[in-house]
Amino acid sequence: MSNQPHDSQIDVTSSSPENTRRDFLKKSTGILGAAALMNLVAPGVRSGAWAAGSDAPEKTEVKIGFIPLTDCASVVIASVMGFDKKYGIKITPSKEASWAAVRDKLVNGELDGAHVLYGLIYGVQMGIGGPKKDMANLMTLNNNGQAITLSDQLKSKGAVDGVSLARLIKAEPREYTFAQTFPTGTHAMWLYYWLATYGVNPFTEAKVITVPPPQMVANMRVDNMDGFCVGEPWNARAIHDKIGFTAVTTQEIWKDHPEKILGTSAEWVAKHPNTARALIMAVLDASRYIDTMSNRTQVAKIIADKAYVNTDFDSIEGRMHGQYENGLGKKWQDPNYMKFFNDGKVNFPYLSDGMWFLTQHKRWGLLKTDPDYLAEAQKVNQIKLYTEAATQLKIAVPKSPMRSAKLIDGVVWDGTDPKKYANGFKIKA
Amino acid sequence: MLTVLIADHDATRAAQLEQSFRDQGYTVADVVSSAFDLAAAVAKHAPDVIIMGTDSPDRDTLEHLCIATRDCPRPVVMFTPDDASESIRAALKAGVSAYVVDGMDAERIRPILEVARVRFEEHQLLLQNAAETARKTHERSVVDAAKQKLMAHQGLSEDAAYHAMRRAAMSENRRLVEIAESILQQLGQSS
Repeated sequence: MSNQPHDSQIDVTSSSPENTRRDFLKKSTGILGAAALMNLVAPGVRSGAWAAGSDAPEKTEVKIGFIPLTDCASVVIASVMGFDKKYGIKITPSKEASWAAVRDKLVNGELDGAHVLYGLIYGVQMGIGGPKKDMANLMTLNNNGQAITLSDQLKSKGAVDGVSLARLIKAEPREYTFAQTFPTGTHAMWLYYWLATYGVNPFTEAKVITVPPPQMVANMRVDNMDGFCVGEPWNARAIHDKIGFTAVTTQEIWKDHPEKILGTSAEWVAKHPNTARALIMAVLDASRYIDTMSNRTQVAKIIADKAYVNTDFDSIEGRMHGQYENGLGKKWQDPNYMKFFNDGKVNFPYLSDGMWFLTQHKRWGLLKTDPDYLAEAQKVNQIKLYTEAATQLKIAVPKSPMRSAKLIDGVVWDGTDPKKYANGFKIKA
Repeated sequence: MLTVLIADHDATRAAQLEQSFRDQGYTVADVVSSAFDLAAAVAKHAPDVIIMGTDSPDRDTLEHLCIATRDCPRPVVMFTPDDASESIRAALKAGVSAYVVDGMDAERIRPILEVARVRFEEHQLLLQNAAETARKTHERSVVDAAKQKLMAHQGLSEDAAYHAMRRAAMSENRRLVEIAESILQQLGQSS
């Protein structure tokens, strides 16, 4: 036993810096702010541990799945601009046809990681409607930049926003059809939250379907749908194609809401912690690059290519710069445009963000009972790995793993009482 | 004979599949190429098996239907254009009813569908058992928590608290867990 580091202190003389760090991190349980945690170690010790050569990626080629949407940019840019090489890895972006395929390939290990809907990862963690597997969120990829589009048909009936849409649904009942992109995903949750804010129960007073993003516009054109919630560029495309308008942006529903994450399985992280850290660093570099606004035109050009989002550059570029028009004649410069970095505030895997999706899964009956919200978020969100990566890049890490926001209905979410929050909504399944 | 629904965005492949299934004597209820039609077709035909490509963007629509109709889901047979047996095995383990490699011959259809159905039923049973176990564990923890509350609040022994709850359940003709829940509600859940 005398060879073992003492329980309550860090053995800096150990011959294996890797073990030392691992032990230390293992001991630092709880939800202590990750930045504070790293500050406990003297800077010299910290850099010594990193420089010991034991951080070589276990796997140097990683296949990262993505769905053709504007917010796949950081994964693509990390590869195209060579940020991956800086950290000894090679990222191969892999275009996927559906979120279900992304999910299956993360579960069976065909993909090392993916640009993926926040809620989907938690859905798999809980086994909602499919395989159940312990999953991991390495970092948040973006905030904001999705929207709800309503059809021009609804506009002609006077429905141009939440209030007037609710009025129309009550006054002229019929089957109002709204589409989202995946049953446990983010767009489903934004759509349901928004409808419920105005008193419309998405399950009893509307019909909700799932439609792949690139098919949204086409389906609205043939009058199949009254509205949809999806990521850009498809809302901009609907306006461009003169078939619908933006009723609300998701940043109006929740300013700086979490959206896509860099997801993988817990098993993959356990096997490849160094690769995971290198991957986070490469994507953080890319995120910082994209949030330098002078780079965005170039980024839009790269991702518009048919290998990636495969749409016209104009549909992508405007909203990436925060230049919004809603298709009803209103134009504005949105300060809460799609953000990929925001000095690292975007990327930290807040526990409160992860828990929020569980609360909404519970609210809408996808979860039948309350899970242990905090424990699940602590398992999934890789705060330690993220903090190690961010600290190396001198990117600030927040002191608290919780953040607070007031959503569009005026209700505050700060992560303190998830069970009460989840069960406190008037409109629910 | 089984009724199948084919969903494929690739019209050529869909036509081939349709022919293969008809040749084997299956009823092909419909062949759909868009996600929107899929939802309607599943509702209309209630097929025994849904046939779809792994590379189909409409898989997400199917996911939604599976969750929406959780009490009566249908087996899905997936076609994959790549011949990676490892990934097929992994997918099977993950709960997809069956993965089939593209370019299959007609004679293989019947055993594949049989396997899909059997696997699907096994998986459903597994899910039911898991749900049952989760429910029991949850109930036990609720009863335990209520017992602790009662002990602290009424100064009872563990045995006495448990018996008091049992008696209440019997006299009110309610389940023990329901009594426990109302105790927790009255005494507050936080300790």
